[in-house]
Amino acid sequence: MQEQHVVVTNRLGLHARAAAKLVRTASGFRSSIRLERAGNGGGDDISADAKSILSVLMLAASRGTHLSIVCEGIDEEVALGAVCALFERNFGEDQE
Amino acid sequence: MSKRTRNGRHEQHWRGVSVSEGMATGRVLRVHSGSRQHIYRATLEEPDIEREVRRFQAAVRLSLRQLRAIKQRAEKALGAEHAYIFDAHMLMLEDRKLLDEVENLIRREHANAEWALKVASDRLLSVYAKIKDNYLRERSSDIEDVVSRILIALSGEPQQRHLTQDAVIVAEELLPSTAAELDFSHVRAIASDAGGWTSHTAIIARGLGIPAVVGLRELYRHARTGDEIAVNALRGEVVLHPSLNTVEQFRAAKGVVGVRALTSESGCEEPLRTLDGVEIILRANIELPAEYGGVKRFGARGIGLYRSEFLLAQRGQMPTEDEQCAAYKEVAALAGIDGATVRLFDLGGDKIAAGETDNERNPALGLRAIRLCLRREDLLRTQVRAVLRAAATGRLDLVLPMISDVSDVRRTRRIIDEERINLEREGYETGTIKTGAMIEVPSAVLMAEKLAHEVDFFSLGTNDLVQYLLAVDRSNDEVSDWFRTLHPAVLHSIERTLGAARSAHIPAIVCGEMAASPAYALVLVGLGALDLSMTASSIPRVRRMLAAIDAGKARQLATDCLSCATADETEELVRVRLSEMWPELFPPESLPPPRQEW
Repeated sequence: MQEQHVVVTNRLGLHARAAAKLVRTASGFRSSIRLERAGNGGGDDISADAKSILSVLMLAASRGTHLSIVCEGIDEEVALGAVCALFERNFGEDQE
Repeated sequence: MSKRTRNGRHEQHWRGVSVSEGMATGRVLRVHSGSRQHIYRATLEEPDIEREVRRFQAAVRLSLRQLRAIKQRAEKALGAEHAYIFDAHMLMLEDRKLLDEVENLIRREHANAEWALKVASDRLLSVYAKIKDNYLRERSSDIEDVVSRILIALSGEPQQRHLTQDAVIVAEELLPSTAAELDFSHVRAIASDAGGWTSHTAIIARGLGIPAVVGLRELYRHARTGDEIAVNALRGEVVLHPSLNTVEQFRAAKGVVGVRALTSESGCEEPLRTLDGVEIILRANIELPAEYGGVKRFGARGIGLYRSEFLLAQRGQMPTEDEQCAAYKEVAALAGIDGATVRLFDLGGDKIAAGETDNERNPALGLRAIRLCLRREDLLRTQVRAVLRAAATGRLDLVLPMISDVSDVRRTRRIIDEERINLEREGYETGTIKTGAMIEVPSAVLMAEKLAHEVDFFSLGTNDLVQYLLAVDRSNDEVSDWFRTLHPAVLHSIERTLGAARSAHIPAIVCGEMAASPAYALVLVGLGALDLSMTASSIPRVRRMLAAIDAGKARQLATDCLSCATADETEELVRVRLSEMWPELFPPESLPPPRQEW
């Protein structure tokens, strides 16, 4: 299992376009890929399947949200790198 | 809302939020969003269940094919950055989270595909409804869109739409895929019940430069395909069954404004100065959350008028202190260092009925605005407490509407002071707020010198000032010929009020429709106004104009207007002078046409 911490930095958060990119990228790997958002310590942690756009949108990850990306499977290392790269490059969006 | 015109038809007016520029007249084309379709529930026999699952899968495949085609068209028409949304829709159609749930419901509940889809999507939507972030929550419309597409595919209905040459799209909400299927070369304007700045309707309309107004409550229910309609996206106005007069006014104005996509103005971060170096501040008037996006986008220096009564309209009941406090904090954060001015509930009259003013013979002169606040002191105290608390987090001022006597100000200020002490005693943090008076009643104009010593600032509400000064009901078509914004009496009142503020060294903000029109804004600057507040989308136009004129010349024009005897004379003078002095800024068509003799 591979895990890395990221922060959503694009202006509109994980909105439809960014989510679509994420899901397209994640779907290209065989590993399971999950996005986990820590709740307020009250057990309301949320976890989303990165290959399901409805699941990703439900995270409601607005700008500034901290997420953990967890990959598990035969290509977990490459998958984690590819997904993290999307976050680092703000999903290719210009920052306004 | 409706009023009878001379030929007995009802001209119906709506006010919404402009999400693009321009204006247009045409005929209504109602576009059903598909989201309110009646979904029936059938119980299937065992042998039919797998067939129903296959029927659902076929509908999903058909929807995917349609979306692929739409995406290609949209990429050509709107550019790849607007077509991305269809990629998200296609992913939703492939999302096992939704598909599995629908198929399970069909199998487990022996339900028909439509009902299963509705149940599954309603569950999803209920989760989205709880999302706090506005932009992300609005994405639930994407799910509705995808669901309605599958529903239509299940029904076997064709999706072709034939547009007349002068179509004005009227929808509850224009969903992106429906929008992409329309032939926009024929669409003159868009008007929708729902939607905001970040809605797809808004994005598409701005991208294509089509006039669009959203947030028009219940327009869809009232409009019928083929009805005449006029859309003014400069002012966020829509008129159904417009009179000939209204249509003429629109046509005259339309030629000038043209249709132009809105872009953020370069240099709008710089202070605005006229050619002769007079600094003018332009602020935004806001009411609906949908307008918030425009504040930064159009370079507003803070919020000059926040119409707080929207909070009541939104909830249908009086918002609590905490709810109000949260709303005011949001407004303060939006306004930033330039601050926001919250107007106390301006209820009664032609605004939202508060349930307090039943059967008033003359509501415009009745128990409304500050009078209602002082009568219902509990409501006033709640609002004042919310503003004081919110002011601890950002710069907020409070303005009192419809002040007609200094004692209204004194009574309100006493309540503000009392509530500040109460809050501090209760352990709440409060912020410093300035208290201003709306100058919109003739008695306030005449007493402006005295009032100026009792408040921290003035706010001129030009719409109500014209109504009260000229004794013209602004919602009554029969007397609209007497509603004259450039009436010399109005101009004298404005000059007098601005002068009183200057002498007392307090600021005066002019807010109201007048400031949003470049020709009128120029006259206001000539009368001494340095601080204007308007619909955010009007700021770029007014800014362009003011940056290209001399305040000294505007002053001369205003002085000459003040010596006129009639509104006809001032209008003629403004028309002639503007076209002589700044022909490139004010081409003849941009000015009101000469008045017919009558």
